[in-house]
Amino acid sequence: MTIATDLTRVIDLFQFPFMQRAVIGGVLTGFMGGLLGSFTIMRQLSFFSDALGHSALLGISLGVLLGLEPTSVLLPFAVVFGLGIAYLLQKTKLWTDALLNIINSTALALAIIILSSLESYKGNLNTLLLGDILAVRPADLWMSTALLASCVVFVALTLRMQMLVTLHEPMAIARGIDTAKQQMFFIVLLALVVGVSIKAIGILLVSAFVVIPACTARLWSRSFITYVWCSAIIGAISAVVGIVASAFFNWPSGPSIVMVQFAVFVTAALTSR
Amino acid sequence: MTAVLKVEGLTVYREAYAAVKSVSFSLQEGTDTAIVGPNGAGKSTLVQALLGILPRKAGTIKILNQPLTAAGQLSSRVRQEIAYLPQHFLFDRLIPITVTELVALGWDDFRVQWFHWKTRERSHAVRQALSKVDAWHLRHQLIRDLSGGEMKRVLLAYCLVRPRSLLILDEAPAGLDIQSESAFYHLLYQLKQDQNWTILQISHDLNMVRRHCDHVLCLNQTLRCQGPPNDALTQENLISAYGSDFANYHHNCGF
Repeated sequence: MTIATDLTRVIDLFQFPFMQRAVIGGVLTGFMGGLLGSFTIMRQLSFFSDALGHSALLGISLGVLLGLEPTSVLLPFAVVFGLGIAYLLQKTKLWTDALLNIINSTALALAIIILSSLESYKGNLNTLLLGDILAVRPADLWMSTALLASCVVFVALTLRMQMLVTLHEPMAIARGIDTAKQQMFFIVLLALVVGVSIKAIGILLVSAFVVIPACTARLWSRSFITYVWCSAIIGAISAVVGIVASAFFNWPSGPSIVMVQFAVFVTAALTSR
Repeated sequence: MTAVLKVEGLTVYREAYAAVKSVSFSLQEGTDTAIVGPNGAGKSTLVQALLGILPRKAGTIKILNQPLTAAGQLSSRVRQEIAYLPQHFLFDRLIPITVTELVALGWDDFRVQWFHWKTRERSHAVRQALSKVDAWHLRHQLIRDLSGGEMKRVLLAYCLVRPRSLLILDEAPAGLDIQSESAFYHLLYQLKQDQNWTILQISHDLNMVRRHCDHVLCLNQTLRCQGPPNDALTQENLISAYGSDFANYHHNCGF
């Protein structure tokens, strides 16, 4: 096949509503991941998004076990689990990455034990792990849009607070900022973003959406404000390019997006001063 | 003169240990008070409790006549009247924050507000503050690229970007060489006069305390002495706060 025929095939492919939904879903997920990711990496919570991703599998498996619709259990479970992790991080005197590793492995182990005992759910495990952005429904898009709006409003209204909390927590408390409350709001939003994104990207790769665009933006930015918005935009653009690449090369969509994110990151690493 | 800060019977625990015990004092408007004492005496614990960063076990704290609640809450208006500079301003050097952005955070009142709120007024205040500390030329620099002396000047701009009543400094010149430390104090006292700041500062430099401060608090878990430096920093009080070895050394060296 020539490149021209490939291009025609890709253009034809984007005439289908499921591909259009995939692009919109990718932009929404990429933007949200990048926006919250900018704060996540600076607060050294990168593994937190990973642990949340793995907890989602546990949430789904518990939903199946209890006879509930798994995806309806996912979001509330992610929020409760996220707050639980935040509480443990505050209360235990252990390294953050070590504690998150314990939680991560335990959640995954428990989820696999539950799922392996449920014959009916074995077939869908692959989809959960790797995601399927082409299976995004209109209802998912509405949910992502509402969540993106919440994230943008949250960041736009509390950006100055978030900056000081991220830079120096005692100075933020001295200025009257309730840092625990801000951290809680942030974790709830992050848990929701990870939960909503799992359907499209899958459990294994969801943390890449939070971490890679933010790291790229960090390399290119010379101020905090530019960094935050740059991270969100890189997240969104990588998603679009990744979906086009997946259609062109016939690759799975989630991994294609992550490879595009990585390519942009390498470019930033090579070009930044 | 009115009391800017009034502390009564303050006790603060670190884990199961009382780091600060039954401390009472007050700060009068426009004065400069130093907290002195050996390492581990509870000086940083005391100032962190005054700001609500650490919870207290007992006692009352009033700042500008407003009580600091047990949960560390204080009215937003009073919060904006206080500036705090921690001992060694340690931050993650990978955070891409510019000098302008840091000083602007000193101006903000941190209510829930749109990120572009009063941008023009804010920028004007930042420009004035940076100009006063002779750091306007640093405005676009990332704070991680600043030298120790430049960072202290920028932090002073963070304090003066909005009118304040009370400055709480936890060993503010820590990490500076002698020349930069002297330049820092020169600027601080120039600004204090200009802004009519009341200052509460932790210091290890008893010479500086004698030269500049109106009042001194000697702390070693409890308050061992307080008063004007020349009256309070007696051999007997220094022995009580620091132990006999330090006090004898200090006396023999004529510091």
